[in-house]
Amino acid sequence: MVTAWTIARTEVTRLLRDRTNLFFVFVFPLLLVLVIGAQFGGGGQVQVGIVAPDGDTMAQELIATVDATDGVETVTVPDAVTLREDVARGRVSAGLVVPAGYEQSVVEVEPVEVSFIGRPDATGGSLRSVVAAAIAQQATPGRAALLVAEAEVDAELPALRAAAVERRGQAVGVDVVARTLGTDELSEEFAGLGQFDLGASTQLFLFTFLTSLSGGAALIQLRQLGIAHRMLASPTSMPAIVGGLVGGRLLVALVQAAYIIAATLLLFQVDWGAPSATIPVVVLFSVVSAAAGVVIGSVLRNDSQAAGVGIGVGLGFAALGGSMVPLELFPDALQVVSRFTPHAWANQAMAEIVRRDGGVVEVLPQLGALAAFAVVLTVVAVVSLQRSLSR
Amino acid sequence: MVRGSRLDQVLVCSGLRKAFGELQAVDEVSFSIARGETYGLLGPNGAGKTTSISMVAGLLRPDAGEVTVLGRRLTPTAAAAKSAVGLVPQEVAIYPDLSARENLRFFGRLQGLDRRELDTRTDEVLALIGLTDRAGDRADTFSGGMKRRLNIGIGLLHRPELLILDEPTVGVDPQSRNAILESVEDLATDGLAVLYTTHYMEEAERLCDRIAIVDKGRIVAEGTRRELIATIGEHDLVRLEIDGDVQAAVEQLRGLSELGSVEVEDDHIVCLLAGAARRLPALLGAVAEVGAVTTGVEVREPDLEDVFLHLTGAALRD
Repeated sequence: MVTAWTIARTEVTRLLRDRTNLFFVFVFPLLLVLVIGAQFGGGGQVQVGIVAPDGDTMAQELIATVDATDGVETVTVPDAVTLREDVARGRVSAGLVVPAGYEQSVVEVEPVEVSFIGRPDATGGSLRSVVAAAIAQQATPGRAALLVAEAEVDAELPALRAAAVERRGQAVGVDVVARTLGTDELSEEFAGLGQFDLGASTQLFLFTFLTSLSGGAALIQLRQLGIAHRMLASPTSMPAIVGGLVGGRLLVALVQAAYIIAATLLLFQVDWGAPSATIPVVVLFSVVSAAAGVVIGSVLRNDSQAAGVGIGVGLGFAALGGSMVPLELFPDALQVVSRFTPHAWANQAMAEIVRRDGGVVEVLPQLGALAAFAVVLTVVAVVSLQRSLSR
Repeated sequence: MVRGSRLDQVLVCSGLRKAFGELQAVDEVSFSIARGETYGLLGPNGAGKTTSISMVAGLLRPDAGEVTVLGRRLTPTAAAAKSAVGLVPQEVAIYPDLSARENLRFFGRLQGLDRRELDTRTDEVLALIGLTDRAGDRADTFSGGMKRRLNIGIGLLHRPELLILDEPTVGVDPQSRNAILESVEDLATDGLAVLYTTHYMEEAERLCDRIAIVDKGRIVAEGTRRELIATIGEHDLVRLEIDGDVQAAVEQLRGLSELGSVEVEDDHIVCLLAGAARRLPALLGAVAEVGAVTTGVEVREPDLEDVFLHLTGAALRD
């Protein structure tokens, strides 16, 4: 046990000594999470697309009020059709269509409809409140004028208040008509996700697997340098050596996964869901990754082969398993093929945990599949490693 | 060919055989090494030296025969017997990205040394191999000779009874090579049994108390240097450089009586014969008879290279 731990710890030490490894294991995954987050959720400023009539002073006031809100930026869009498309594609977070004759309607206290177009997420809801507040500022004097005109001029304040309460529900002044886009199944799937939530888990699986496969080269180096023979010539038993080498790869995978979770949690406030469900998924996936790396390092004969195969298989599985493009966008046939990758099961599990607040019970099928991958690959890894060490 | 009292013997190999497919890599190899003795396996590359050593170190299980160390049978799973053996592989088997101290501590742990013993032995071995000042530096910053010294130091860390050195001077500069040879001489003086493989005849002659000449998986001769040279007989070695038909000259020389052997080596004719000075005119005459001209003559005592040539018909470096 002590010797197995010594071997495993040495493997991690060696990984941490290599500056290139440090970049690809610790820095690069976070950069990708950042890039994907930027694409998925936009930058720091939330953009609201505006369609408004030219020369309409009240419309310009309304836009200025929305624009003055912290974290909100308005952009002019030529027409309502383009605006709907921009919102649907995520180019802007929401849209506002101010109709022609808006100023005249407001001044003459005529009913007028302003259309708000949003997505079914938290940002859409917040922006709707911002727009409604800005419009209310412009509509309030009209409502007050209407109230005064219809009430007796010498009425006492309590009587005026009672009249205002009576007319509260009447459709007078400016009204906001809200329209929510993208209420189809796909949009609902990603609704409520934080900016970095999708990228964090998919990149964790991509990089943990990729690092483990590339790490197979370290096992080949052990054989080439004669270190494996030196280990076998010592009184340390074969099971302890194999346990140490496999454990070393597992330790590397777990360290990387834990780091990505901690760093994205702290830096990007990523929602990783319930730990009781997330931890088993990540641990099982790390076992699968470590075992796959050991198989590569045992079966192949030189480290350049291992690097090539590791990157090819690592990226291929990640692409097939939904770590580059969400599985929900895959055609049906490809979704079936993806089931042969551990990434697909892990990504499905995280979707259940993060998007639908799933617990360990909800992800039992995915945990079962990952456990099956882990058992089969670990057996293959141990057998192939024993053979390769004795070569 | 096992000899000496069993009580003195650290290593006894009996009838070792190992085949890889059709290739019989080791065939009935037997030898023993006593405490304080340096035993050499001398042979060309591919002769079966490393396969023999792999069985002695417990890396390979022999198809037949057995290895015992201090009376305990050594197999790949025999921890007690293995702890008495120190292996210095032909490759520089160290972690390049760990320091000298870290390498020693890592392999010391695998040998089962406890923390206190590990601290003591690490410092002792660093001093022994002259790397105390560089103990904290990564091994990949070391020269080839320093790496070789660290390679040997790891083999000595756990105070083995038997040290196996597999071609430890391959690819080493002359200065480092000499330092390694001096270290090995000191180790034997300290009572360690040393098994040394090489294809350098001069190393075997300098270091080894007894030498086994290995060819095609078999020990073809074994003994001290003097005993091995005596297998040629009381012969001198005559080396003739000729201008003319070498093969015709060889045939003519083979017709002479009392010649131990006549071989061609690097376009020279090498003859073994008793009383070379007296017989030299006859040799030169035989060469002249086939129309060749002798352009150079060298007469000397035979060495292990000549023994190997005599026994196998091939040069050691082939």
